[in-house]
Amino acid sequence: MTDATAPRNAPAPYIVPHRPWRDLLTGPVASIAFTVIVVVAVGLIWIGPRFLAFGNVGIMGAFLIVPLVVGACAGFALLSGVVDLSIGSMVGFSSALFALLLTLAWNPWAAAAVTLAACLGFGAINAIAIVGFGAEAIAATLGMLVALRGITWVLLGPQGAIFSFHPGLSDLVNQTLFGLPLFFLVAIGFTVIAAIVVARTRFGRHVQAVGGDDKAAARAGIPVKRIRVAALLLSAFGAGLGGIVFTAQLGSAARATGFGLEFQVYAALMIGGYSILRGGVGNPIGGALGLLAVAGVSNILDLKAVSPYYVNIIVGLLLLAAVLLDRMRGGDAYE
Amino acid sequence: MRLQGWGTGLTLLAVWLLLIAATGLYRPDFLSHQTVLAVSFTMSIVGVMAIGQGLVAISGGFLDLSQPAALIASSLVAVRLSEAGLPFAVVILGAVLTGMAWGFANAVIIVGAKLNPVIVTLATNFIGLAALYFAFQLAEVPLGSAIHQFGRAKLFGLPAIWWPMLALVLVVGFLIPRTRYGRRAIAVGGNRMAARARGISLKATRFAIFTAAGGFVGFAGVLFCATSGPFNPSSANALQLNVIAGVILAGISLSGGRGNFWLLLLSVGFLSTIPTALVFFGLSSDTQSIFQGLILISAVAFDGYRARRGTP
Amino acid sequence: MLRISKRVIATMALTVPLAFGVAWSANAAEKFKLGMAVGGNTCCDWMKAQGDVARALAEKNGWDYIELSNNNDPAIALKNARIFAQEGVNAMIQFNGQPASNPAISQAMNAAKIPVVTYDIADPGMYFVGIDNLAAGVAGGEQLGKVIKEKWACNPDLVVSAEGAAAGIVNEWRTGGMRTGLKKICPDIPAEKWVSFESQGDAAVGLPAARDLLAAHPDAKKMAVVGLNDGGVLSLINAAEQLGRADEVIGWGQDGAFITGDNVNPHLAGSVFYFLEGYAVYAIRDVIAPIAAGNIPPLKAAADNPASRVEPCPVSAEQAKAVPAMAERVAKLLEAPAGTTAYSLFCPNK
Repeated sequence: MTDATAPRNAPAPYIVPHRPWRDLLTGPVASIAFTVIVVVAVGLIWIGPRFLAFGNVGIMGAFLIVPLVVGACAGFALLSGVVDLSIGSMVGFSSALFALLLTLAWNPWAAAAVTLAACLGFGAINAIAIVGFGAEAIAATLGMLVALRGITWVLLGPQGAIFSFHPGLSDLVNQTLFGLPLFFLVAIGFTVIAAIVVARTRFGRHVQAVGGDDKAAARAGIPVKRIRVAALLLSAFGAGLGGIVFTAQLGSAARATGFGLEFQVYAALMIGGYSILRGGVGNPIGGALGLLAVAGVSNILDLKAVSPYYVNIIVGLLLLAAVLLDRMRGGDAYE
Repeated sequence: MRLQGWGTGLTLLAVWLLLIAATGLYRPDFLSHQTVLAVSFTMSIVGVMAIGQGLVAISGGFLDLSQPAALIASSLVAVRLSEAGLPFAVVILGAVLTGMAWGFANAVIIVGAKLNPVIVTLATNFIGLAALYFAFQLAEVPLGSAIHQFGRAKLFGLPAIWWPMLALVLVVGFLIPRTRYGRRAIAVGGNRMAARARGISLKATRFAIFTAAGGFVGFAGVLFCATSGPFNPSSANALQLNVIAGVILAGISLSGGRGNFWLLLLSVGFLSTIPTALVFFGLSSDTQSIFQGLILISAVAFDGYRARRGTP
Repeated sequence: MLRISKRVIATMALTVPLAFGVAWSANAAEKFKLGMAVGGNTCCDWMKAQGDVARALAEKNGWDYIELSNNNDPAIALKNARIFAQEGVNAMIQFNGQPASNPAISQAMNAAKIPVVTYDIADPGMYFVGIDNLAAGVAGGEQLGKVIKEKWACNPDLVVSAEGAAAGIVNEWRTGGMRTGLKKICPDIPAEKWVSFESQGDAAVGLPAARDLLAAHPDAKKMAVVGLNDGGVLSLINAAEQLGRADEVIGWGQDGAFITGDNVNPHLAGSVFYFLEGYAVYAIRDVIAPIAAGNIPPLKAAADNPASRVEPCPVSAEQAKAVPAMAERVAKLLEAPAGTTAYSLFCPNK
C-alpha cells in the first residue's frame, strides 16, 4: 500500500488507504454511505419501488448534474484548506456570459471556451489574493461572491435574464442513456475521476497533505502555493462548467441562477464528510453521496407532495446529524 | 498589535474620506443632511448585527450564519407584541430575549455536541427560515405604534435608531479589552488551549458569547422592523453579506483573538456610503456589489500581506 | 463481524434498489390528475393562496391534485414539471416567477403531451391565464395621473419608479405601463423628472436603495411613485418618511397586497387588484375543466390573446376599504358558485 512517488517524509495520516470498497464502510465516507442507505430505505418504504425507477432517478439526476460537477471541483479547494465561497456567483456569472455569447450567435464551443477562460481569470484573482497575498480564503472569496454577483447582474441587463434557448444544446443535455440523463452519468464519471485523482495520484495526495498541515507539507517539499492555486482554479473551472450546463438545461440565464448555490453545495459536501474550515478531510465520493442524500430527501417530499419548506428543515437536521456522526467516529471536536 | 488595529482604522478612515471627497467634488449636493440620513439609517441595523458577528468571530467561533433567521424571528416577536398593544420597553425586551434564546440554542448544540459553529449556524439558519415560513408570510408593525414612530424619529439630526447602535459599539468596544469577560473571549479566540490552561472555561465562554451575540441580533430586529415596513421571512437574507464584510473590513479576525470593535463604525459606515455615492455618480445599484466585492478582496489581500510581513 | 454486517448492508443497498427499479412499471391513474406548481411562498401570502384555492377547486371537481413549489428557482421549476410528467398528471398549472426556465419546461411538457397553464407570464407553448400586465400597469398609471393632475396640475418634482428587475418582462410591463398611463394623463412631465431605483419588489429589501435615491434628489418634494408592486412602492414611501420628506408623496401600487386591512400607509393612494389568489377559477373554468371533459381548447398563449383573461381592478385607497383581506376573500371565493371570479365578487370599481 505504499507508493514510491509519495514524498518520503509526507505526514502519514493524510495518505488514503487504497481500498475503496472497504472505505465505503469504515473509511471517511461511511457516515454518509449509511445516511444515503437510510434515505433510500425511507424512500422505498414510504414511496414504494417507483422511488428508484429510472424515470425518477433521472429527474433527480438531471437536477444534480450542476451540483455534482461544482461540488467535485470545489471539493479540491476544501481539501487543500481554502474554502471557495464564490462558486454560486461563479455559476451565475458563467451561465450569464455563456447565454450572452449564445445570443450573439457565437458557436457554442467557442462560447464555452471563452466562458471557462473568464471563470479561470476570476479564479486566478482568488488565488492571487489568497495564495499570493495571504488573504483569509473565506473573506476573499466572499468578496468575489459579491463582486461576481454585481458583474452578472450588469451582464443580464434591466430584464434580469437572457433567453438563449438553443434546441441543439437542450437536446444534448437532455440525452438519455439506459433511461438516465447522459450528463448525469457523465457527472458521476467526473466524480469518480475526481475520487481517483484524490486517492491515487500524487496531486491528490499533495492536495490532502497541504490541507491537513501546510507547514508539514512544505517541509516535506510539497509546493504548497502551487497546489492551492491549482485547487482554486479547479474550483472556478467546475463552477464555470456548472453555469454552462445550467444555461443549456434551462435555455436561459437569470438572476436566480446559482444564487445561494454555495450554501446548498457546501451543506451537502459537509453532510458528505468535507469540512469547510479544515483541509485534508473528505473525498469526492462522499461529497456526491451528500448531494444524493439531500436530493433523495427532497424527492421523497416532492413525490409525497409535502410542503417543500420541510426540505430545508430536514437538510438542516441532516447536516447536524452528519457532522455529529462524523465527530463520534473520531472527527474533530470543537471546543 | 494595538498599533496594527489603528492602522486599519486610519486606512479605513482615509478611504472613506476619499470616497466622500470624490463624490462631493463630482456632485456637491452629496454633502447634505439627506445623505447623512440615508447612510446612517443603513448603518444602524448592519452595525448592531456586526457587533454580534464580531463577538462570535473574536472568540474563535468564526461566523454566525444564522443571523438572518434570528433577526426575522426577533422582528416577528416585536411585531406581535406591538400588535398586542404592549409598551415599547416590553417589545424591545421580547425581541432581545428572542435573539438571546436563539443564540443560547445555537450554543447548546455547539457546546453540547462539540460541533463547529459555522456548520451549526448554517443548519439552524436553514431550519429557522423554513420554520418561519410556516409561522408567517408577511408581518408589519402597526402604523402609528411606538416602534413605528421610533423608526422614523430623529435625535440631534440623526435617526433615532442610529444612536443605540453608536452607544452599543462604543460600549462593547470599550469593555471587550478592559473587562475580564472581554479578555477571556479574546483569549479563547486567540488560543483556546492556552486559555483553558489558564483556567478559563471554554463552555461558559461559548454560552456567554453566543447568547450575547443573539441578544444583539434581537435588538437589531427591533431596529429592522421599526423601519422596514412589511417584511417576510427572507427579507433579512440580503443583510448577511454586508454584516460579514463589515466585520472583516474592521479587521476583526475571523479566526479569532484580534480586533477592535470601534472600527466597526468606520467599516460599516464606509460600506453603507458606497451605494449612496454610486447613485450620485449615476451608476445603477447593480454596480454597487462589484465595488463592495472588489474592496473586500483588496482589503483582505492587503491585510494578509501585512500580517505575513509582520510575522518573521 | 461488524465489518461483515456492514458489507451485507452495502450489498443490499446496491442491489435491492436496482431490482426494484427494473421491476417497477407505471400504473395508470383512473381519476383526472391536476398538478399545480406554486411560485414559492418566499415573498407573499398570495403564492400560498394560489395553491390553496386550486386544491379546493380540484377537490370539488373530484380530481386528484398534487402541489409542488417552484421556490422561486428556475431549476426547481423545471424539476417540478418533470415530476408532474412522471406522476402522470393530465394537466399542469404553474406560476413561475422565474420565467427563464419556461422554454425548457414548455419543451419537456410538450414532449410528454401535458397541457400547461401558466399564470401572468406568457410562454408560446402554454395556455396563458392572467392579467394583461401591461394593461394593468397602464390602468394604475392613469389613476395616479388623475390624482397628480388634480393635486399638482401635472407638475410633480419627481416621478419615481420602483423597479424589480428580477421579475424580468413583468417589471417592464407593470412599471413601464404605469409610466405610460401616467403620461397619457400628464404628457408634459419633462424627461429628467423620471427616475428609477431597484426595489427588488420587497418593501424591506428595497428600503436602502430608496433612501439613496431620495438623497440624490434632495430638493424633490412632490413625488409620484409607481412600481412593480405595492411592496416596491412602499419601500420608497417608508424611505421618504424616514428622511422626513413624505408629506407630499403619492404612491400607486400594483397587485393590491398592502391596500387592504388596518395597516394601509396613508401615502399609498391606490393600487391595482389582480386578486391573484383566485386565478385557479379562471384556469379551471376555461382550460382545465374542458380538458378533463375531453374538449381540449385551442392553445392561446399570448398575453393579448389569452386562454382566460383576468381583469385588472384599479382602486383608490378609499375604495379598497370595502375589499376584504386575502384570507376572507379566499373563504368567500370558495363558497361562491363554480366559475365565479374574485373580480366579480370583490372589485368595487367594475
